[in-house]
Amino acid sequence: MKDCRTPSYTVDADVKVNGHAFTNNSDDSNGSILHGSSTNIVWHKSSVEKIDRQELLQQKGCVIWITGLSGSGKSTVACALTRALHARGKMTYILDGDNVRHGLNRDLTFKAEDRAENIRRIGEIAKLFADAGVICIASVISPYRKDRDTCRSILPDGDFVEVFMDIPLCTCEARDPKGLYKLARAGKIKGFTGIDDPYEAPLNPEIVLQQGEVCPPPEAMAEKVISYLEAKGYLHA
Amino acid sequence: MFSLKTSGEVNSNGGGISSSDESNGSICHEISTKGRRSMNIVWHKCSVEKIDRQELLQQKGCVIWITGLSGSGKSTLACSLTRALHSRGKLTYVLDGDNLRHGLNSDLTFKAEDRAENIRRIGEVAKLFSDSGVICIASVISPYRKDRDACRSILPDGDFIEVFMDMPLHVCEARDPKGLYKLARAGKIEGFTGVDDPYEPPLNSEIIIQMEGEVCSSPEVMAEKVISYLDAKGYLQA
Repeated sequence: MKDCRTPSYTVDADVKVNGHAFTNNSDDSNGSILHGSSTNIVWHKSSVEKIDRQELLQQKGCVIWITGLSGSGKSTVACALTRALHARGKMTYILDGDNVRHGLNRDLTFKAEDRAENIRRIGEIAKLFADAGVICIASVISPYRKDRDTCRSILPDGDFVEVFMDIPLCTCEARDPKGLYKLARAGKIKGFTGIDDPYEAPLNPEIVLQQGEVCPPPEAMAEKVISYLEAKGYLHA
Repeated sequence: MFSLKTSGEVNSNGGGISSSDESNGSICHEISTKGRRSMNIVWHKCSVEKIDRQELLQQKGCVIWITGLSGSGKSTLACSLTRALHSRGKLTYVLDGDNLRHGLNSDLTFKAEDRAENIRRIGEVAKLFSDSGVICIASVISPYRKDRDACRSILPDGDFIEVFMDMPLHVCEARDPKGLYKLARAGKIEGFTGVDDPYEPPLNSEIIIQMEGEVCSSPEVMAEKVISYLDAKGYLQA
């Protein structure tokens, strides 16, 4: 009979989770400790890795970061993109600023530091989804370049696909889908992006979606993104 | 002039959105466009919903919340569960406390309020994964009942599956896979769960993993217990 006081197996601090080695610092390192290392032996093979999930899904995980003014069409393009990718059998998930501000980020206000934290957390979650093999679409104004670039920096090269909804303020304001520009102009909202808070356009987005004389339909905009993903190999394992 | 208009009711992931994402600045969250619905026309169909993703993946999203003392085997079970589910063609993702504390939760300390926040955030992220159709495995000590129950409460009934690694402290301490019990006993760690901070076991977990007498089951056997539960509850099919 086995004596569990001397365990029948040992677990090394290098047990891999999702394909990543985890350190012995924090989850179980509750309290204030030194970051030491273990001398235990890995006895079992590593877990399922990102490449295995990608093989299962027949796609590569990435983050499509749709940025732009309120009313520029971010959510609309996100939805069209999701539909088109789903029709191709691809697994996607949208991180919409609203969803996240009602759940994970419900503790955050609209003060400047909380806005940065909002974006930081969305970036970190998007990274997890991409690691899971999902094509994660973040749809959030994210007006400050620094915050978007920080999100880019935490992802592997190429996996952060910035899509700039380059639609003029006058067009967005004329749409005003949620009546917010009107409130902002009336002074009932302070610090509203585009009115009395800046929007810093991306300098090097992977994709720019613009209108000409006529605004293209969302499906056409989605196809532009899909062509990019296809060309870069994200639509197969 | 415009070839499209969007309503404030455009749904992402099948859920309704309210006006707060783009409601930047200091405003009332109660402001919605519902009263303005008649002014905008939704011209396109709702986007892909959870049920569509589940059809694509041939599974139902849920959260498997593995809780227990340090060294009780949570990560080991999470890994073997992932392997077994992957071999059945199911998509899973493990939210390990470590991964999260190096990324999303890198701003949190080990003070009591931050520990609660750590668990809250992990719960919220797990909820997103579950909504996406993924079988999300959270592997985190989560010693306080209140915090675990708060995570349960944000998920649809049945989708939070609590797995209690019911291993005696002396077994966990004998394993001491990261040398932390030794440090805690030497007083070099304060507030270490099981030594000088409480672990509140679940009262009604869906699954309990225990030793059988003196013997620990292998991780594969433990994983199969969880998989049988998932199968019986219909999570392994659309």
